[in-house]
Amino acid sequence: MHNLTQEHLAQAIGVNRQTILAIEKEKYIPSLDLAFKISRYFGVNIEEVFIFDEKTPIMMTT
Amino acid sequence: MKKNSFYLVFGCIALALLAIFWYSVELHTPLLIEIAFIVGIVLVYLAKRNVSDLISDERDVKITEQATIRTMQIFWVIFCAFSIGAVMEMLHIPEFPRQASSIRPPVLLPPRMMGYIQLALLCLMIFLYVGFRIYYAKKYGDFETDEE
Repeated sequence: MHNLTQEHLAQAIGVNRQTILAIEKEKYIPSLDLAFKISRYFGVNIEEVFIFDEKTPIMMTT
Repeated sequence: MKKNSFYLVFGCIALALLAIFWYSVELHTPLLIEIAFIVGIVLVYLAKRNVSDLISDERDVKITEQATIRTMQIFWVIFCAFSIGAVMEMLHIPEFPRQASSIRPPVLLPPRMMGYIQLALLCLMIFLYVGFRIYYAKKYGDFETDEE
């Protein structure tokens, strides 16, 4: 959405690229800290980036 | 220092330790390899501190944490079960009613053998940990690839 690569996002928030990929693929649920970092990076609210669902606790919106 | 340089240094230290191990076996001085091992580990930690691009994030920590917990959950049960048996063997509690001339039953495992088995169990723990680490790495998306 910001013409951004996973590598750039990962570097900006201090994680590995594989972690960004794992969050996107719903394999890993980020901590609240990381979720806030991602949403702040995009300058949006956390609810706009992540969806809370009872079955799959946190999903990243694409 | 870059990540690849660190792995190169790590490999060199491992090779040096292997050489020192066999040298201390030849000299029959275990103290040499023991000191070398501690020095080697300290060097690895120092080298790791100087790596600039080795990022360990929260997902890595989670994988390590889960693998460690599972390993310990299984390992301590097996290790303690064997150790309890070993202690029983060493204590040799006589059967009741006590006989006047209690004859000690044949020793199933001599103490040295028990030590070797405990050492082998410790080595197996490493394999168990590696197995769990691979499992959790896969679970938390370590082997996922991009579709882009």
